[in-house]
Amino acid sequence: MSLESNGLGAEEFVGFENYYALANDERYFKSISNSFIYTFASAFLIVPLSLWLAHLLQSTFQRLRPFLTFGLLLPALTPPSVLATLFLMVFHGREGLLNQLFILPIGLAPINWLKDPNFILLGLVLQTVWRWTGFMTFFIMAGMEGIPKTYYEAAKLVTSSRWNQFVYVTLPQLRSVLIFVSIYLFIDGFSLFSGAFILLGGSGGTADAGLLTISYVFQKTRFFEYGSAAAISISLLPIMLFSLYVFIFLRRRYV
Amino acid sequence: MKNLGSLKPSSLRRIVSTLLLAPFLLAVLYPFLWMVFGIFKTNHEFFQPLRIWPMKPHNLEYWKGLADTFFPNEFNFINIHELVMGKWVPFWDVFANSMVSSFCQALGAVALSAMAGYAFARLKFKFKNVYFVFVLALILVPRQLFAVPLFSWLNILGLNDSIFGIILPGVITGLGVIYFTQVFRKIPAEFIQVARTCGASEFRVFLMLLSLIWPAILSYGMIHFVLAWHEHLLPMLVLSTESHQTLPLALAKLYDVSQRTPQGVQMAASTFSLIPTALLFALCHRKFKSSLSDMLVH
Repeated sequence: MSLESNGLGAEEFVGFENYYALANDERYFKSISNSFIYTFASAFLIVPLSLWLAHLLQSTFQRLRPFLTFGLLLPALTPPSVLATLFLMVFHGREGLLNQLFILPIGLAPINWLKDPNFILLGLVLQTVWRWTGFMTFFIMAGMEGIPKTYYEAAKLVTSSRWNQFVYVTLPQLRSVLIFVSIYLFIDGFSLFSGAFILLGGSGGTADAGLLTISYVFQKTRFFEYGSAAAISISLLPIMLFSLYVFIFLRRRYV
Repeated sequence: MKNLGSLKPSSLRRIVSTLLLAPFLLAVLYPFLWMVFGIFKTNHEFFQPLRIWPMKPHNLEYWKGLADTFFPNEFNFINIHELVMGKWVPFWDVFANSMVSSFCQALGAVALSAMAGYAFARLKFKFKNVYFVFVLALILVPRQLFAVPLFSWLNILGLNDSIFGIILPGVITGLGVIYFTQVFRKIPAEFIQVARTCGASEFRVFLMLLSLIWPAILSYGMIHFVLAWHEHLLPMLVLSTESHQTLPLALAKLYDVSQRTPQGVQMAASTFSLIPTALLFALCHRKFKSSLSDMLVH
């Protein structure tokens, strides 16, 4: 499909035309760099945060634990279109929750989260963190519960500090969970559409500041430029396969 | 397992961690509570702006301002009534469609990907790795790309505007295949050996293994149900009659500004659309978690 011309019905073979067009397309490169920033920033925020939350959940009251976990899990169960309406309240340029509760009190001007090109990506990252942290916490907690208690007993003989127990027992035992979580976030950031769709409705936002590769594909398909859309996706495949290879390699090596 | 006295966190520790968790929980739940209270609001109340900034938190006015935009003035059920009676969309039809199609998709996806996973994990055949790369590609390539070819195939099959047109493509999943491949790899090879020695056919062996992995089956079924429940693109292309549509489409129609639907009705529909998936997780999340711990750690 990536070798065919754009338009509906009368596709014809055009060779590598679509790829040449991509090589000169500024928006394409912008979208790729945006996707990278977005994916890595959210992963770097989500993984440590959910580790910490999972740890906290482990040490709360046993009766409360299911309720707390379920509360944190709720955003992952909500349809994306519902989240879209909810976020309008949070990210509103003046009266949004973020502005009223956090930005104004520390003495800054209200931030127009969804319109200001400097903050769109940050907004995207924030909504991803909000949406997925609970879900990842759930996975990590499941992993933590699978660690045999005897390991901790052994660790207690050697060291009394909880931090050491965490570093030398919990973290190594959670390797495979953490790798799984990273892969999930990576794939979600690069090829799942819901995140960008929730906040910006599939557009790139002002000055394309929030244009992700996947929203670019979406825009192309909307105007029936299937050739270009396929070309973009295929051009991403090497990146994705390489990163998957890295993950799998890590898995073989350390798990 | 009971005798772990020294490993149990102290009560002080428990209280502190609960307190530390509270703000996160609040940040997560606040929009949802706002949504639920939104059901009872009139449009005027709903769009009331939140202007609490120059006030300080130790001031009572601050909290009053916050509460004013959060709680409805009075609880009237007209919005729920309008939604349920189908004034804006044929709500119950749509809801039932979503239920049936998500359930069938989950069932089909589990059956199909369990079989594929068994094949990948336990059988030897030519080009196995090539096939596996295709499965990976299924996850990585954006769904939008498949939309048009899929649509023309469904037209040929005559499944246009029918619920089967959603279910059929919905049972294909790369994630499920990979999940079940992992699950079947965990099963000791001896089990299969024994079964084969006893003269069981390959399919029989597979059925026997299914009884061993049923928590994994339940978990994946749940995940797929949620994914199918959220699916927007394909139903949008395939289903055109209003009473054949699924919930995300109905929601999109309600949100559409040109329809002039009251905000409260939108919030009611959103709340209802969240209930089935939330209920499913609330009921099964213990099972789900223990099957995950088995799978992830070892």
